[in-house]
Formats: sequence, C-alpha cells, structure tokens
Amino acid sequence: MKTREAGEGTSVVYVNGYLNSLLGEEVERVVHDLLEAGRPRVVLNFEGTRLINSIGISFIIGIVERMAERNGTLAFCSLNRINQDLFRMTGVSRYVRAFDSEEEAIAFFAQAV
Amino acid sequence: MRLLWSQGAEASFRPGEFFGRKEELSSLLRVCLEGKSGIGASVLIYGPPNVGKSSLLLKLKSEIKSLPQSTAPPCPFPFYYSFSNILSHPLALSQHFLQEYLWQLLVFLGESPPAAFDLDSLCDTLAARGHMECREYLSAHRRYSEKGDGLSALANAFSFPFATGGELLYPIFLFDDFQYTIKLQNIPEGAIFSILRPYIKAGHFPMIVSGSSPGHVTSSLKREGLYGSFQLLEVGGLSPDASVKAWGPLFERRKIRIPESLAVRAAARLGHIPIYQRMLAEEISFRNVRIEDEVEFENQFALSVTEGKLNRYWREFFENAIPDRVNRARAIKFLKRVIYDRFPIDTFEGAFSLMGTSPEEGSEILSALEFKGLLKSDFEHIEFVRDPVLADFLFWAFERGVLGKNTSQVAASIVQAKIAHGLQEESRGGQEASAEMAKEMMRRWDCRDVPALLFDFGKFHEKYSDKGLLEILIGLEEDPRRVRLPKISSVSKGYRTLRGGSRFDFDLVAYGFHDGDFSEENLVIWAVDVNTEKKLAQSAVEHFENRCRLLSLDKGLKPGQLRKWIFFEGAWDAAVVGLADRYGIHLTHRTQMRLFLNLFGMQELEKVPEERRPPEGRPGDKPLEFELVLPMKADTEVVAARVAEEVAAYASLDKDTVDRIKMAIIEACINAFEHSEAETGKVRLRYVLSPERIELFVQDEGKGFRAPAEGDESKRNRGWGLKLISELVDEVHIETGEHGTTVRMVKNLHPASDDGSITTNSEG
Repeated sequence: MKTREAGEGTSVVYVNGYLNSLLGEEVERVVHDLLEAGRPRVVLNFEGTRLINSIGISFIIGIVERMAERNGTLAFCSLNRINQDLFRMTGVSRYVRAFDSEEEAIAFFAQAV
Repeated sequence: MRLLWSQGAEASFRPGEFFGRKEELSSLLRVCLEGKSGIGASVLIYGPPNVGKSSLLLKLKSEIKSLPQSTAPPCPFPFYYSFSNILSHPLALSQHFLQEYLWQLLVFLGESPPAAFDLDSLCDTLAARGHMECREYLSAHRRYSEKGDGLSALANAFSFPFATGGELLYPIFLFDDFQYTIKLQNIPEGAIFSILRPYIKAGHFPMIVSGSSPGHVTSSLKREGLYGSFQLLEVGGLSPDASVKAWGPLFERRKIRIPESLAVRAAARLGHIPIYQRMLAEEISFRNVRIEDEVEFENQFALSVTEGKLNRYWREFFENAIPDRVNRARAIKFLKRVIYDRFPIDTFEGAFSLMGTSPEEGSEILSALEFKGLLKSDFEHIEFVRDPVLADFLFWAFERGVLGKNTSQVAASIVQAKIAHGLQEESRGGQEASAEMAKEMMRRWDCRDVPALLFDFGKFHEKYSDKGLLEILIGLEEDPRRVRLPKISSVSKGYRTLRGGSRFDFDLVAYGFHDGDFSEENLVIWAVDVNTEKKLAQSAVEHFENRCRLLSLDKGLKPGQLRKWIFFEGAWDAAVVGLADRYGIHLTHRTQMRLFLNLFGMQELEKVPEERRPPEGRPGDKPLEFELVLPMKADTEVVAARVAEEVAAYASLDKDTVDRIKMAIIEACINAFEHSEAETGKVRLRYVLSPERIELFVQDEGKGFRAPAEGDESKRNRGWGLKLISELVDEVHIETGEHGTTVRMVKNLHPASDDGSITTNSEG
C-alpha cells in the first residue's frame, strides 16, 4: 500500500482499489505501523477507491477507535459522492473530518500543529 | 526534387475549422512573442494521439504569421517541423531538416518557392536577400554526411537556424511529434536537446515541443537540466461550447441535419475530440442515415465503433502500434480493464501483474503504448488516457478476441447483448414456456453426468422406441455412455448479439465451465433452439447450424466449445435426424425431455412454475429481467455490482443512483455469503427493470437469516450491511426460512417520498 510523509508527523495513506476485508486489514495494519512509528496524523486518501463495502467500513471504524485511543488524528480526503454517503450513513463522518483534496487535509494538519 | 518532403498535417489543416483552445493559444502566443526580449520560455505540449496537438501548433503558426507587421524587427518566424515523417537515420533527418527550414524561411520572406528543391539554390536565394552566407554550413554538413557522422550532421543542421535571422527575424520552433526523435539510429536519447540546450537557455528562441510521449521527453529534459525551462501544457478534448461549434462546418458541408440538443450530447459522447467528430460526420454522410433522437445516435455510434470508421481508426492504430499479435491482444485486454473497467492502476509493477507478463515483455507493451500517447509515465507513475471512444472500442475488441476470459466480462457482455435487443423479445406461447423450463433445468446442471442418449434422438429412438417409460429408465441407468454437463454460470433467453439481429437469435444461450473451473480453456457455450412446429424440418436444422457457425466465428470459439442443442416436439424423419447428427447437433425429443426433467426433479413441460413469472408484472411495459448465478467466493459480489451497472446503464440512470444500487447489491451478496451457509455454494441474482423501478433479488438456499442479537460483541463494528441497504434503496423485503433467504430491494426510478424501510418475513 502506498503511503507518503507529508510534513512532521503527518502521513497520507492511499486506499486504492476495492475496500473489502483484505484491503481494510491492510489499511489497519499500515495505520497501526504509522502510530507505532510516532506519526499520529493520518490522511486516508480515497481518490483511488473504487468500491467500499460494509466490512471495509468496519475496519475504518476500528481505525477511528484506535486513533482516538492513541490520541492521533485522522482525516479523509478525495471521497466521491457515494463513499461520502456511506460514511455518513454509518456515522463515521461524525468522527472524522473529510476534505475535498489531499492538500486541504495536509494544510489543516499543518495549522493544527 | 523535394526529397522526403511531405506536407502531412500542414496540408490537411483547415484554419477555418479550428475551434476553441483560446486560452492555450493566447498563452503560447505570449511565450513566442517574449522571445524578442530574450525572456521567451519553452513549452512541452502533450496529450493523447490525434487530440489536436498538431492543429494547435499550426493554428499558432498562422496566428504568428498574421500578426501586424508594425512592430520593429526582429520579427518572429514560426517554423513548423514534424518529426513523424523523418527516416530514422540521423543523416536523413539532418538533410530534411535543413531543406525544410530553408524552404519555410524563404516562403516566410516572400520568395516564391523554387521549382527544384536544391539546398544550394535555396542557400543562394537566401544570401541574395542579405540574410546570411550559408554555404559554409552546407559544406560542413556535406562533409559530415560523407564521413557518415550522424551526430555532427545533426548538430550542424539544428544549429543552422540560429545563424540565419540576424537582426531581422528570430525563429520560433514548433516541433511536432517529438517522440519520434527517440527512434534515431545510433543517437542517444535526448541528443537533440543537447544540441538545442544553449539556445533554449538563451530565451531568445521560444520552442514549442509537442508529442504524445511526454515521459520520454521529460526524462530527456531532466537529463539535460532543461526541465525547469519548460512549461507543460496538456491538451485534451475541446470545451463543450467549442466542440458543439465544431459540428457546424462538418454538418454543413455534408448537408447533415441533427437537432441542436443532440449535437451537444454527441459532442460529449465523443469526448469533445475533433477527429472523432469529423469521422462520425463522414460516416453519417457515407451511410446516408437520419439521426433524430438519442437512440439513433447511439446506434450509429455503436455501429461506427464496432465496424465503421471509429473501429478502423483504432484497429489500425493498435495494429500499427503493436504489430505482434500476441502482445496486441495482451495490450487490448489490459487496456480494456484499465480504461473501460476503470481499474485503478498507477505503477509499473501493477501493470505487469495485470498483464500477467514478465517486466521485460510488459515494458515493451507499455513503451509502445506510451510512444503512441495512450499513457504517460513519470518514472514510477503511469497514467492512462481517458477517452470514451477508445474505451468503447476496447470493450468491443476484448469481446471479440478473448470472450470468456473471466466471469465478470462474460456476465457483462451477456447483459450488454441482452439489453441491446431485450425489448424486442416477443412472447411465443408454448415455445416460451419450453424455453423457460429448459432454462431452469440448465441452471441445475452443475457438473453432473447424464446418459448420452438423452441428447441423441436417433440412437434413443432406435433403442427405446417400443419400450415403456420404466424400461427406458432402467435402460438409461445402465447405459455406460455419459455426458458430463458443465457448471452453468448464466443462461439467457432470446440471446442476440449487438450486430445483425436475427442472425444470432437463439432461444437460449448458456455459458458454463467444465469441471467447475472458471478458466478460458473450460468455457463452453450452449446454443439452444426450441422447435414447436408440427414437424421438425430440415430447413430448421440447417438454419440453426448456420447461426451456430456464425456465432462460433464471431466469438472465435474453438471446436467443442460450442454445444448445439435442439428440442423438438413434433414429428421427424430419418433424414433430418441424420442431418443433425452429421452437424454434431444434440437432438432431444419431448419424451427425452421428460426424462431429463425427471432427473433434475422438475415438473412436466406444461406447467410453468409460479416463481418464474416476473414479479408484479404490469400491463403495458414488460419488465426486463436479467439473471446471474454467482459462486460464493470472495469478491464475486463485484461481478454482481458490475452487472447491476450495466442494467442501470440501460435505464440511463444517474451515477448516484447507479452507485447506490451497486453498493446495495454488494451488501446483499456479502450478507448471503456470510450468513446463509448454503450447501450449493451459490447465490442467485435477479435484476428486474421496469420504467418505474429497478428491483434486485438476491437469493440463497441457505438455512435462513436471523437479525443479529443486540449487544453481540463478537463482531464488533460489523453488521452494517442491512442498515446500509435500507439507506441505499427505497424498499427492502427479506423473505427467510429454512430453505433459504431472498432479499428483494427496490429502487424507484422517479423521486418518491418513500424512505428506506425493511420488512422481514420468516416462514417458520
């Protein structure tokens, strides 16, 4: 899975493909590793996400919980309409800020530091 | 003689038919004019093939030439040079370049072009105008040529323009098709930029470099440390306004009339790309068709992509880009997934694995595609063009070439074929009922062995014509000859391909896989006709055989991949039975059919089961129905979503609705996979499309579904499926019992106040 560092303590994770249990697990692992490595701010970039299913969403909820436990901050970016709706329907969007673009998400983190 | 001289793009360019691109033109013009003050930049123009890069350069050239002469010298001299028609030998290129430059310069200075294309006389004419003494250059060039020193000859030729202008003019280079320079023999990539480097850096000589392969060009620029000196300009389709205007002269000249609103839609359909617009206008005129509504336009477009001009255009493109057949097929299959299916891929490794090739072979294909402008690469990243016409062509090419490679494509193609003509299906009474029955039976096959005699009427009759049913049953059980039936993935009624209508019309077509193995080698297609005439006629058998042969040809089926089967009810004669036998057609009479049904635990032909009737059938519009059987395997729900997309496309639903339907069906499938524990390992899907709504049925034969108990912590964060479904569609109904669960989801196609509701009905 592709990730990149975007400033101090901030990382972008690119969720490309079909967010099912397989990919969900991988995202969870990557975010976990980032937290372990002392990088508490994570942007999940959904630009390349074709589909998300409910199992994928359950992994995202797991990630939200873990971030909260570890005082990390999570943001989403580049969600298309249906994926935005899915996060709204499941209530995930109440806990995570979503930005239109990766730049906006990174800028938000940069301000927050 | 003007050796190697060809006007190419320049001759075919019609300034009067150039529309749009105002912003691009004005910024390019500014760059060009700033050369005068020494701050001229250089621009790299890139974009897919034939999108209009050359036209843009030529339009720029004519704009520069038509600038008012009032400004003080030096004045800009636009020199257009295309590398596409050069030979790959550097000496040939340098010679051609010199000739072309001198020629265009003289024309620019108002000289009438000499009749003979002779470097020396061109040079003399230039000297007579007081511009420069160029004989020295030419003799040096001749010396290098004689020595065969290609690199020096190139350096000589490409430095020449910078010495010609003096105080009076400065050349502006409009270099077209620059990607061809990487094909020069024995010349390192980027050599031309090495030669031009000092002039580019000087800022007095603006250079507009255009090419379809920006990856190669940018890497050369980076090597030469020139990347920062170039602005990048990507050229795509025209703006919607401009492309609608572009129809004007195209239609006018050919006396084509189409409604204004359709012109807008048609331009968008073609990605606002002028060359497609021209080709389609030519095609409409050539075929002399009237286009008055969207359906007629779509038909014409489909015709063009499958067998007309748009098809030829892309077919020749691929033949030319990748001459090797095997690699071409690979490239088409690969591109089809990336461009048509929008498979996200942006790394080389990903591309190689999707192609199923080694990096060496894969690189060869990718570099051919890059050279032709279908992808751009930047070291690690690759990006593919998004061209709607190319996407449709690829779908067609894939269907033709490698049908059956995997189930999702097969499913999608069946639906496509079906929706194209599905509405024309006619009810044919008894025949319809028989086909319906056979369809249900074929679905139950699933790799079973059945007596071969049930397929062979001749031998069956010979052996059992005077026997009673019980005797036949016992006889069949002991019969050693068996046919192993494939696992059927999909059966459709009234199959027709997109082209030719009744030529491919069968009562049933089934796709299945031997041994339950979903691979191309094991794909088998069954074409079935139900004959309810009083007597089975020889002509009916001949007609069936002919259609089968066409289908085989059309789909490129290997011998044995197409199974041919006729059911009949009436009388027969030995000659007809013999004929079917010769053609290898399975022949099954009503008596055999009864035995078949018995084998699969089904009822007699006369009774049509209730559940097979379309749900809530209403008078007037007959709902369209599609069916799909999926194995319960990880990720097969994506196939269901893909088919839903195709069905929704037929109803022209908006993207949001389509996405919601896709997500709902994915969730319902996942639920079935997770909860049903069905022994059959299959989920059956039905899509019913009517003008008012789309209904989706997901049925499993599992042990029934129970809503999870509140507070069940074993699957924390899970259990979103049903909630999501109810949010995504307008109605959800769940029928569940010990024989399985059916989830029925309804999405109204016209806005309604009805909010998502779930009803559950347990049988026991």
